[in-house]
Amino acid sequence: MRRAPQPVWDAFVRLFHWALVASIAVAAVTGFVLGPGFIPVHVVAASLAVALVLARIVWGFAGGGYARFAGFVTGPVRLMRYARDVLGGREARHVGHNPLGAAMVLALMAAVLAAGLTGWAFLGAGAKLGPFAFILAHTDSPALAEMHEAVAFTILALVALHLGGVIFTSRREGENLVRAMVTGKKEVGPQDIVPPEREARPGAALGVGLALALVLALAVAAPVLLPVPGAPVAEIDPTARAECTDCHMFYHPSLLPSDNWEQIMATLDNHFGEDASLDAETTAEITAWLSAHAAESADTRASKVFRLDPAKGVTRISDTPFWKARHGWIDPAAFRSPRVGSRDNCAACHADAETGWFNPFFAEVEE
Amino acid sequence: MKGNFRKLALVGALAALAGWPAAAGDTSARQLIAQFAAQAHTQPSVARGKALFMGRHTGGKPETPSCTTCHTQNLRATGHTRAGKAIEPMALSANPSRFTDSAKVAKWFRRNCKSVLGRECTAGEKADILAWLSSL
Ligand code: HEC
Ligand code: HEC
Ligand code: HEC
Repeated sequence: MRRAPQPVWDAFVRLFHWALVASIAVAAVTGFVLGPGFIPVHVVAASLAVALVLARIVWGFAGGGYARFAGFVTGPVRLMRYARDVLGGREARHVGHNPLGAAMVLALMAAVLAAGLTGWAFLGAGAKLGPFAFILAHTDSPALAEMHEAVAFTILALVALHLGGVIFTSRREGENLVRAMVTGKKEVGPQDIVPPEREARPGAALGVGLALALVLALAVAAPVLLPVPGAPVAEIDPTARAECTDCHMFYHPSLLPSDNWEQIMATLDNHFGEDASLDAETTAEITAWLSAHAAESADTRASKVFRLDPAKGVTRISDTPFWKARHGWIDPAAFRSPRVGSRDNCAACHADAETGWFNPFFAEVEE
Repeated sequence: MKGNFRKLALVGALAALAGWPAAAGDTSARQLIAQFAAQAHTQPSVARGKALFMGRHTGGKPETPSCTTCHTQNLRATGHTRAGKAIEPMALSANPSRFTDSAKVAKWFRRNCKSVLGRECTAGEKADILAWLSSL
């Protein structure tokens, strides 16, 4: 015996729910399927998901009865009892979140926060971007990448379970729960369990939310302004720039270890099939500067993966195993196009090549 | 380093304002031709310069058999290095800022003659080449 539908999910809860669905969907597609060029979209969508969850947490303390955590969060004992009742087919009907659904809400929110944290940490270590860049080393990035991936797969698994639960409960109770999350209305019967009524306090929620946003913005902005250890040298020696860009782009010193640079500078009169010799004084000046800012001085991906080894025929960066592995999929014609010209013209595809960063976000192959 | 850089930038800005060529501007093609010819005790020859510049040579590095490998056959047009970077036209008429910095001219004659011919160019050859490039 049910009565007429009553408002259960308030406007904020519904907006939160569907915005979270959209942002997680975009984050999942950009993160799992699309290439590195979509990382900026991924970061924006995922950060939006985190912001939504934080807003939902505030609402969990300030919203009306159905939105409040106090109205649906249960301890493990009641959760187990409810699960047993479900298995026995004798559970009570909860108009708001049932104990299993509530556990799912908390698990999903925790997983989204964990994904945000590990994602920004990965970005900080791997690309030296964001609030964790000042504290993490490039060597941390593989572990962080794995953690981030594990959390992301957890979210996928939770979403699948959540959908399963929604379908199961919809069938069981003969009510379309997806539609209820759109209209906000659910049927309420006399035997149904409803949370205690509570006054929603949107003003207080907005105040706390804004204060939280301000604190978070400061907490993110402050470390972003800190110097990043292991940043490739930003001030380029004018002599090196002038003498080493006559024939090609500027190869940043952090791309190669200092013994490679010393070798290159010692053999300028036979430089990749050309005489690129300089007078002794200029040669010494440039050699000293390149060695001082060579790969050893930097903590970026690009400073850790290249080493020339002429004895083994590796005389160019594009002969190194890492370079080949990361560029092997690119159509050889793309390197011959007039705008690129050769594999060694990194700057044609890497907008930040001359800074030494080689951030994968700025890597692009033109069709 | 920083001071140096600022000074350079300032000089660059002033030069741009005054409409000077970017090079240091301590000489000119005519002066250089006269100097090289005097050193070599020869008359500069446009024809010899052309033959040397446009011809193919075997003494140097296999990658660079001719001056035209980079500067191309059309000296009034933009050339390109083997790494694909543009080289401004070599003909004086197409690029008046050419041959105005004696250190730059010396550096590139040394490098390019060694790359193409496998040896440095003689003063007479330099006079010939500059005469040819100024005559275009
Ligand atoms: C006279 C022309 C010329 C000058 C000047 C010159 N280079 Fe090169 N360099 C080349 C050529 C040609 C290559 C081979 C690249 C190609 O074929 O695309 C090369 C390649 C390189 C490479 C290897 C790039 C790779 O992909 O592995 C490095 C490093 C390099 N040069 C450093 C320097 C430095 C440092 C200076 C300044 C002291 C300098 N070059 C000046 C002509 C030059
Ligand atoms: C034709 C365009 C093109 C050229 C030329 C090119 N790259 Fe790349 N490079 C890319 C693209 C695209 C990626 C991203 C590949 C991927 O992981 O899917 C990339 C990835 C990389 C990465 C990995 C970035 C990361 O952290 O994931 C490095 C480092 C790199 N390139 C260095 C170089 C260097 C050094 C050169 C020059 C010697 C060079 N590339 C020349 C297109 C190019
Ligand atoms: C491997 C490519 C290459 C080859 C081959 C080459 N050059 Fe050059 N040359 C350059 C580049 C690069 C510059 C400097 C770029 C600029 O000034 O625009 C230059 C500059 C010069 C300059 C200085 C111009 C000035 O404004 O001061 C002279 C002179 C010159 N080359 C002569 C020659 C001669 C003669 C040959 C043949 C013996 C030759 N080059 C072959 C690449 C080449």
